[in-house]
Amino acid sequence: MILREVAYARSGDKGDTSNICVFVHDAADYPMLVQRLTAERVKGHFAGLVRGDVVRYELPRVHGLNFVLFQALDGGVSATLRIDPHGKSFQSLALAMEVGEGWSIEPLSDPWHASGGA
Amino acid sequence: MPRGALQVGLSIGAGSAYANDRLAPAAAMADSGRVTYIGFDSLAERTMALAHQRRRRDPATGQDERICELIPLLAGYLGRGHRVIGNFGAANPDAAVCDIVDSLRAQGQRGIPIGVIRGDAVLDLVRSLDCELPERQTTVAALGDRVVSANAYIGAEPIVACLQDGAQIVVGGRIADPSLFVGPICHELGWALDDWDAVAHATMVGHLLECGVHSTGGNFEDPPYRVVPDPHRLGFPLADVTRGDAVITKLPGTGGAVDARTMKTQLYYEIHDPAAYLTPDVTADFSDIEIEDLGGDRVRLWGARGLPRPANLKVLVGVDDGFRATGEISFGGPGCVTRARRAEEILRAHLQPYAASLTDVRVDLVGLTSLFGDRPTNVEPSEVRLRMAVHTPARGVADAAAHEVELLYFGPSGGGGVVTSVVPALGVTPAFVPRELVTLSTEVVHS
Repeated sequence: MILREVAYARSGDKGDTSNICVFVHDAADYPMLVQRLTAERVKGHFAGLVRGDVVRYELPRVHGLNFVLFQALDGGVSATLRIDPHGKSFQSLALAMEVGEGWSIEPLSDPWHASGGA
Repeated sequence: MPRGALQVGLSIGAGSAYANDRLAPAAAMADSGRVTYIGFDSLAERTMALAHQRRRRDPATGQDERICELIPLLAGYLGRGHRVIGNFGAANPDAAVCDIVDSLRAQGQRGIPIGVIRGDAVLDLVRSLDCELPERQTTVAALGDRVVSANAYIGAEPIVACLQDGAQIVVGGRIADPSLFVGPICHELGWALDDWDAVAHATMVGHLLECGVHSTGGNFEDPPYRVVPDPHRLGFPLADVTRGDAVITKLPGTGGAVDARTMKTQLYYEIHDPAAYLTPDVTADFSDIEIEDLGGDRVRLWGARGLPRPANLKVLVGVDDGFRATGEISFGGPGCVTRARRAEEILRAHLQPYAASLTDVRVDLVGLTSLFGDRPTNVEPSEVRLRMAVHTPARGVADAAAHEVELLYFGPSGGGGVVTSVVPALGVTPAFVPRELVTLSTEVVHS
């Protein structure tokens, strides 16, 4: 299953740093999110895009995690030649992460996988 | 929680999230009778540097470019005595005041007090301190004449000063986004600017309002998982604020949604350590905020805490990075990816003579590699678009690179739809200066 089935996210930029906050739809899934969505996994998933560290902050009150990705924007909004200088689309790449089975939410649909995408 | 008899509060709305935001929702906010303050954020990291570029070309400019379109929309609201805070000043607050005065007089509104905040432009200061530029791993002096601007993020303090002096419109340059709301909240409710918990609470409200429709369903939908009603007419958010909590909502009859999900995604947007969100006003702790979805597009939030404001102010330093050329061409049908990659080889060969003058070259296939890099896929897209982007200090080289993309019409078969552009490349990069070295002043003038 991919993260998009159980969670939603938003990414933002400050200089060369990106942050992605991720929240589960069902509070019961929060412990599993904490267990499976480690900073190391996110760093691996963003390999090639993020040159610096990935730091994770837990937000138990709102059942979310905030990831801070350093040296993530190829120098920052005004310096990069990337087509998406802000990393607005990073939220969508995060939601493509494989997160395994056993969540409280049943998959709604999985068109991304059905079509054989990344 | 409805505002109780003992809870003194105010209602404040968002007027814009950036320089080119829609004007109609701001007009709707002003005419709603629902708020007595509206905060307009009209700056992003790049907007400021672009404004300085305009001012370098013409010293009478550098302010927000749409003041004369906006002020007529606020005539009734201002006529009722309500107030506006904005960073319309951008690179030239006094030019913004001129535009505001001219617009007000043109619509017969004389005598309206306008507070102007000066002093956020600190180019001389960052030069004399030779500030480090950590993201560029260099210093201001090392970049020499390429450093073209520097603006300190400034906070609520001068806004409160203007409001205390009777200003109905407050205008500054690089006022930090949440501070546009912290100033009026603290002024109206009588909160001291060193009551850190109170300022953190106001900062939470400001953070939820400063990005406009980000709180009401913008940058949010992902069907079928996340859908909001009528996304073509999203309402701007507003807040009913008391010391105990804040209720975020939007104007009745507008599209979008204010619910726990839209609040969570905006609350932690562009936040790093949630326990230490640094603004000019406070070190805010958003890690323990509680969110109660009241239904009907109303969400109640409380629980922000504060620690003293940072000793340093963040400064955005504008750097002349020469020129940026981009060019795109599409390929479709069977073998489109192969032909696009062939086009890339041809393009790179033609760029080779300019290599010494190209500081950065990037070629992507939109539809395949442009957002996330070259990731494995087993599906061939039905079309791809080659996109070249280069940086160079030389205008002529930028033009030549763009032209090379156009010449790909004579490359692999079926390439179509060339678009190119060459623009000045203006970088912005952060620096930090001791707060006490930035001298701000305020003045109230009348239309």
